[in-house]
Amino acid sequence: MSTLTHAPEHPPHDTRSAPRTRSGSRPLTGTLALARLSVRVDRIRALVWVLGAGAMGFYFAHAIQIIAEDDTALASLAGLYADPVGRMMVGPGFGMDDPTHERFFAAGYAVFIYILIALMSIFTVVRHTRADEQAGRAELVRANVVGRHATLTATLLVTAGLVVTASALVLVGALTAGYAWEGSLLVATTAAAVGLFFTGATATMAQLGESSRSATALSGGLLGLAYVIRMAGDAPEVGGTALSWASPLGWAQQTAPYVDDRWWPLLPLAGGAVVLAGLGYWLSTRRDVGAGLLPARLGRAEGRPSLGTPLGLALRSLLGTLRGWTIALVLTSLMFGSYAQTMLDSADALPPELAGVFVGEDIMLGYLAYIALFMAVFVTAAGVGSLQQVRGEETSGRAEYGLSAPLSRTAWLGAHLTVTIAGVLLILVAVGAAMGAGAALSLEEGGASRFGELLAAGVLKAPAVLSIVGIVTALLGWLPRLAVPVGWLLVAFSAIIGTFGSLLELPDVVFDLDPFGHLADYPVEAIAWEPVIWLTAIGAAGIAIGLLGWRRREVGRI
Amino acid sequence: MTPSHPLITAEGLVKSFGSVRALDDLDLTIAHGEVHGFLGPNGAGKSTTIRILLGLLRADRGTVRMFGRDPWKDAVELHRRLAYVPGDVEIWPHLTGGEVIDMFLRLRGSYDARRRNALIERFDLDPRKKTRTYSKGNRQKVALIAALAADVDLLLLDEPTAGLDPLMEAVFQDVIREKRADGVSVLLSSHILSQVEALSDRVSIIRAGRIVESGSLAELRHVTRTTIEVETAQPVDDLGGMEGVHGLRTEAGRTVFDVDGDRVPQIMTALAPRDVRSLVAHPPTLEQLLMRHYGTSATDGPGADAPAPPADAKH
Repeated sequence: MSTLTHAPEHPPHDTRSAPRTRSGSRPLTGTLALARLSVRVDRIRALVWVLGAGAMGFYFAHAIQIIAEDDTALASLAGLYADPVGRMMVGPGFGMDDPTHERFFAAGYAVFIYILIALMSIFTVVRHTRADEQAGRAELVRANVVGRHATLTATLLVTAGLVVTASALVLVGALTAGYAWEGSLLVATTAAAVGLFFTGATATMAQLGESSRSATALSGGLLGLAYVIRMAGDAPEVGGTALSWASPLGWAQQTAPYVDDRWWPLLPLAGGAVVLAGLGYWLSTRRDVGAGLLPARLGRAEGRPSLGTPLGLALRSLLGTLRGWTIALVLTSLMFGSYAQTMLDSADALPPELAGVFVGEDIMLGYLAYIALFMAVFVTAAGVGSLQQVRGEETSGRAEYGLSAPLSRTAWLGAHLTVTIAGVLLILVAVGAAMGAGAALSLEEGGASRFGELLAAGVLKAPAVLSIVGIVTALLGWLPRLAVPVGWLLVAFSAIIGTFGSLLELPDVVFDLDPFGHLADYPVEAIAWEPVIWLTAIGAAGIAIGLLGWRRREVGRI
Repeated sequence: MTPSHPLITAEGLVKSFGSVRALDDLDLTIAHGEVHGFLGPNGAGKSTTIRILLGLLRADRGTVRMFGRDPWKDAVELHRRLAYVPGDVEIWPHLTGGEVIDMFLRLRGSYDARRRNALIERFDLDPRKKTRTYSKGNRQKVALIAALAADVDLLLLDEPTAGLDPLMEAVFQDVIREKRADGVSVLLSSHILSQVEALSDRVSIIRAGRIVESGSLAELRHVTRTTIEVETAQPVDDLGGMEGVHGLRTEAGRTVFDVDGDRVPQIMTALAPRDVRSLVAHPPTLEQLLMRHYGTSATDGPGADAPAPPADAKH
C-alpha cells in the first residue's frame, strides 16, 4: 500500500488544522449557487411546508365561520378561550368579550400557524447547516470556491423565502375569509416575524452542538419554552401579564390583530431575528467545520450487563421514542382533564355541532369520554411509532447486525414487541391517571370519583390499541413494506372517525372498521366486556402471526 | 490444496432478488484455520453470500454447510461460533461505542474485559462517545472490536476496513494474523487487493454471482504475468517474438514487457547475456488478476489472446 503521506483519522473535529478561508474579503462567494442548490434539493419538502402552513391558515380562517354560524354560537365558543384554561392553551384572548370570526381566528388559532412556521424555520435551517455538516456534505461544499459565510447566508435566504411565502398564503387565507385588511396583514406579518425570529435563533443553535439532533433539540426547546412561558403569562389575566412579554410567542400575540392592531410588538421579534442571526455568523467563525462549541457529552465506556440481552437491546432502542410520547401525552392529558370544570360550566352554551361530537346527555362526562378516546388514539400512535422504529431497525441494517449474534429472530422481535406493548400499556395508565388528576383538580365537586373513572377509561382502551398493534405486527411479519403506512392509516382513521364520525354520514361498515368504536364510551356508558375480549384476541393473533412470518421470512429484504 | 474437512461448503448457490440474479451457481469452500480472501467488485455478490452464510437470507437453490450445519435452520447455534462485521456498519446511534461492543460480547456470552480493552486501545477508539458522533471509520472500529474481542471460531468480515485509515489497517492486519495463529478461520471479503494479498491463505474471486477463480495466491500467480522493466546495453527487441512475452515496448529508454508466470525462467536466461544494467520485475498484483476477469482486454495489448485461461475460470 502506498501510504506515503501522514494518514490521520478523519473524524469531523480533526479538521481544526484545516486552513480557514482567510480570503475574508469574499466570505459570501457562492451564496447564490448554494441557495439554488438548497431549493433544488428541498423543492418537495419546502413546497409541503409552505402549502401546509398556508392551508392551515386558510382552514382556520374559513372553518371558524362554519363551526360558529351565528353570534350566539360565537359567544359560547369564545367562552372556551376567554377563561383561564383557554388562555393557557392558546393565548391572551384579546377581544373575546366581543367576539367576531376574525378575532376568534386571531385569538384562538393564529398561534398554531406561528408555531408551524417556526417549526418550518427550525427544520429548514438545521437541515442545511448542521445536518449537512454532520453528514460531511458541508466539507465537500466548503472545499470549493465558497465563502466562509456562504452556507449560512444561503440557508437564511432560502428559509426567509419560505417564511415569507407561507405568510403570504396565510394572508390570502384570511382575506378570502372576508377578514379586515389591516388585521389580516398583521397576522401574516406576525407569522413571518416569528418565522424569522426562529430562523435566526436556529442559526445560533446550529453552531453549538455537533449533531443536527442537538441543534433541533435546542431550537425546538426554545420554541417549547416560549410556549410554556406564554401559558403561564396568559393564564392569570385577559391580555396577558408581564410574563407574557418574556416569550417570543407572547410578543406575537400581543399584536392583538382585529382588536388593537398593534404593530410595535413585532419590533423585538424582528430585532431578535437580526441579533440571533448575527450571533450565528459570529459563532460560526469561532469554530471549525463539523465541530461544535459545546463539547459532545460522553457516555458510558462500558455497557451494563442488561444491555447484553434481547430485552435490554430492545429497551435501549425504543425507550427514547416511548419516553418522548409519554411526556407529551401525559402533559396533554393533564391539560385536557383540567378542562372538566369549564365543560361543566359551558355545557349549556355549546353549539350543536360540538355537542354532537361529545356524546351523551351529560356534556362533561361526554367530554371526558371523548378525551379518553382521543388520547388513546394518540397512545396508539405511540405504539405505531415504536413499531415503525422496529421496522427502521431492519431497514437500517441494525437488525441484521444484531441478529448476527446468537439470538433467535423470535427473541429479537419478541423483545421489541414486549417493550412496545408494555410501553403502550404504561402510557395508557399514565394518560388515564393524568386525565383523572387534571379533572379531579379542576372540578369543584366529585373530583375524586372522576379520577378513578378516567384512569379506568384510559386503561379500557387498551384492547383497541392492542388490536392495531397486532395488525401492524402481522404485517411486519409478512408484508413489511405495508406495515408502517397501514399503521398510520389506522391511527388517522380512528382519530377521524372518533372525532368527526358522528358529523359524517357514513355507512355502518366504515364505523365497524374503527376498533375504538366497538368499545363502550366509558364513563358515559357501562363497560361492555365482549369487545374487550375479541379486540384483545385480534391483537394477540396479530402478534402471533407476525412472529411466525418474521421467523420465516428473510431479514433485511427491504 | 483442497482441505479434507472444510469449514464452509457452498454448492450451486443461486439467489435472485426480483429479476436480478445476485448469485449464479456459486461454489465456495473454506478450510478450517485459513484466512480466505473473498475478492470481487461491488455488486458481485459478496455480501449476499455472507448473508446466506449468516442465515439472514435463504438461497433459492444449492446447499450451504457451515460447521456441518445449515445456516438457515441452525442460525442461533452457528452464531455462537462466529462473529460478523457488516460492510456498511449501522449501529445504535444513542449507544456509546463501548456499549455496542459489550452488548455483542455479552450476547455471544464471551465477555473478556482484558481482550476488549486491549483491542479498544490498539484501534485507538474512544468508547465513551455516542456512536451518532462517530465517523464511518470509528463505527467500523466498533464493529471490528466487537467481533475480534469475541471468542469464536469463525470471523465473517464484509469489507471490514472500508473506512479505516492505513495505520488502523495495519493494526487490523496484525490482529487477523494473531487470530489465524490461534486457529480462527476468517472469510475476508474485500475489494482492497493489497489487504487480501497480505492476509489470505487462499482467495476466491467472485464476479457476477459466481466464483471465477479460486486457489492459493501462488496458484493464481502461476497463470498470471510478471511485468519486467529492463535496461540493457544490447538490444532486446527480438524478445518480443519469444513464447509468453506480451506487449513489448520502450519507455524512457527502458524496455518493458509482460511475461507469463511460467515462462519467467526462459526469459531470464535470454536476458542474461545482454549486459543487463537494471532490471525491475513486479509480481502480478491482484489488480492484474482482477483485470483479467473484469477489465477489458485493451490494456493487454496485442498479446491479449495468448495466455490460456485456467481450466476453472470463465466457464
